[in-house]
Amino acid sequence: MSKLKENFNDKKMTAVIILSCLGIVSMLADIFSYKKALWYIVLAGVAGAIVANLNEKSNAIIYDMLLTDNYAIWFSTLILALVLLWFMVSKDQYESGVYNSSDNYALILFATVGALILTSFSDLTMMFLGIEILSIPLFILAGSNKKDVSSNEASLKYFLAGAFASGILLFGITFIYGSTGTFKLDKIADWANAAGSNLPALFYTGILLVMVGLAFKVSAAPFHFWTPDVYQGSPMFVTAFMATIVKGAAFAGFFRLFYTSFTSASGSWALILSILIAATILTGNIIAVYQSSVKRMLAYSSIAQAGYILLTVLLSNQEAKYALLLYIASYGVSTITAFTVLYHVEKIKGTDTFESFTSLSQTHPLLSVVMTIAMLSLAGIPPTIGFFAKFYLFSSVLKSNTSYLWLIMVSVAGSLVSVYYYFRVIIAMYGQHEPIISSEKKQIPAFYNVLLLLLVCVIIILGMMPDVLMSIDNL
Amino acid sequence: MSESIQQYIPIAMQFLVASGFVITTIVASWLLGPKVKTLHKLDTFESGLQPVGNARMQFSIKYFLVATIFVLFDVEVIFFYPWAVNFREFIQEGFEGFGKMLLFMAPVLIGFFYVIKKGALEWD
Amino acid sequence: MEQIIFIILSLAAIISALVVIFSNNPVYSVLSLVITFFSIAGHFVLLNAQFLAIVNVIVYAGAIMVLFLFVIMLLNLNKSSEPSAPLIMKVASSVAGGLLFITLLGALRQSEASAGLSGGNIGSVESLGRTLFTNFLFPFEVSSVLFLSAMIGAVMLGKKNLKDS
Repeated sequence: MSKLKENFNDKKMTAVIILSCLGIVSMLADIFSYKKALWYIVLAGVAGAIVANLNEKSNAIIYDMLLTDNYAIWFSTLILALVLLWFMVSKDQYESGVYNSSDNYALILFATVGALILTSFSDLTMMFLGIEILSIPLFILAGSNKKDVSSNEASLKYFLAGAFASGILLFGITFIYGSTGTFKLDKIADWANAAGSNLPALFYTGILLVMVGLAFKVSAAPFHFWTPDVYQGSPMFVTAFMATIVKGAAFAGFFRLFYTSFTSASGSWALILSILIAATILTGNIIAVYQSSVKRMLAYSSIAQAGYILLTVLLSNQEAKYALLLYIASYGVSTITAFTVLYHVEKIKGTDTFESFTSLSQTHPLLSVVMTIAMLSLAGIPPTIGFFAKFYLFSSVLKSNTSYLWLIMVSVAGSLVSVYYYFRVIIAMYGQHEPIISSEKKQIPAFYNVLLLLLVCVIIILGMMPDVLMSIDNL
Repeated sequence: MSESIQQYIPIAMQFLVASGFVITTIVASWLLGPKVKTLHKLDTFESGLQPVGNARMQFSIKYFLVATIFVLFDVEVIFFYPWAVNFREFIQEGFEGFGKMLLFMAPVLIGFFYVIKKGALEWD
Repeated sequence: MEQIIFIILSLAAIISALVVIFSNNPVYSVLSLVITFFSIAGHFVLLNAQFLAIVNVIVYAGAIMVLFLFVIMLLNLNKSSEPSAPLIMKVASSVAGGLLFITLLGALRQSEASAGLSGGNIGSVESLGRTLFTNFLFPFEVSSVLFLSAMIGAVMLGKKNLKDS
């Protein structure tokens, strides 16, 4: 009978429990004054959560709400790894004294709990709760630089857009519940299979509303208007968190829902989704060309990348899972690297425009090499992981359905455009030679040099042998 | 369901009485009270100084902080009702029926501790 | 009898919701939003969901709307004219909203409630509590994380100078 205890002994959802407790530990750090040790505690805790997550009993059903299948375990691991990385690279920002690290870390950890739920839910209630737990800490984090007006604006805009999207999503969930009578993903799938081709309009409408709500969350066009301002206004590493971990988790949830429940009804949403993808890729890439701030450029690039990642939802087959895992890993690592370099450049030069990268190769050769590799990976150029991720994604789309050829053509065209703005950064760093002001020679701490080198190694080594991620059985 | 509507008649009566009382008093005072409408009578402060400036003012954010925290705890406390109503039934399962609520209460209490220790409720 | 109450409540909800949008004075907007919430609480009672009705009144109409009201009264709202959107925006949003309305209406018109939804006493405090603490126990416990993060957020954004150690 004692279900609580039983779950505890079975090592189910240990990562969620560890992270929730870690969040509480982190929020109390100020009060019990162990803030100096907090960073180490958090790092150890997240590492522990990764280990616990890998040891999770597979295919366990937790309270009929979560399902720890291979998909859940591997996406959770990926997200936890990205969080661990995030804590390492963001150390400098939270030691600067502008932010209260204990509150910020607690919010990040709670958001991660939401991300983990989004990778493993088997019930629409859990999906909604996961999205809320993921977004509410981020509304706050976006405004965590209280003295900066653009940060306040980012917080408000993100909150309004996010609340609106949640409302639409909830509306869609209600419609789906109204027509199927269940929240369970597998039962919805059974119901849709049994109904065959005469699905009621209520169900279609529900799917479309859910799709719109999730498209808001992953910032797919035409629901992307909040993204540039929010990404630009938020503190640098909060933006990095939003662009990588939040987006990754939202896509994992998006794919999980559509793959498990709505594949048999794909006739009703595939066309709309493919139009959404084409619009996202074109808008993101084309507007990114006109930006003068690198941070804003990365925001538009993240919109464009969301378009590519949405291709996996359109596919919704076994191969798409691998493509999604690979793409989120590649995009996550590259983006975190790019934001880390950008953070240090902004700290040294004071701005985040393309001009601030001018002749960076002379003062900071390492930063320039790292940024170059990150840009190459985002643009999808070998030998980086980004190339392989894109290649695998496009080829798996073509392999399964040749009628999406036009979409692949749009994607390739978008990628070509993206080369222009990614290379603008590289050309700025290596192209012009300008007299160097001595204040710009300030070097970054050795810790970050080592970390950045490590990240570059990950990007290149994964690019050389992406089989590491492809060899997971039965994702 | 028509019988269940009968159950709500007392509540409806209460609503009627409450709103009826308010409406009656307002209308009555309007009807019975003397009406003098001169320029001075309509001043903000009759036979006082002319008001200067604006009545609206910036207000301390502390009020909102306390109000927000109130709303949060209000929502949390709402969850206690369905638990309390079924308490007899839950307690049959032994400690677990109590533990369910304890698990929910613990973060709430930690949050309360946090709010107090951070000095969010200090009005200085 | 029930139908008459339904019609009265629906009319009250729709009219007060329209007042929320069309009123120029934000205080009137909030007050009519309170009326909307009350009439929706009435709908909940008609659907036999007494607990939701009470929660709706206590939390929304009671706490949140009063908070809204105070915020609005304390805001600097001297400028009564707000910038009106360009015509093309108005047309586009009416078309988009109208299309959404037609879609929802169409979807609701030709569908019937699935079996298992229309239980007799599903909304009472007792049966809701039973469901919440058995089937939905896990989401319930997880939601405390949500409360914690909201609390941190309120303190973090609301407190002017947190004493950093």
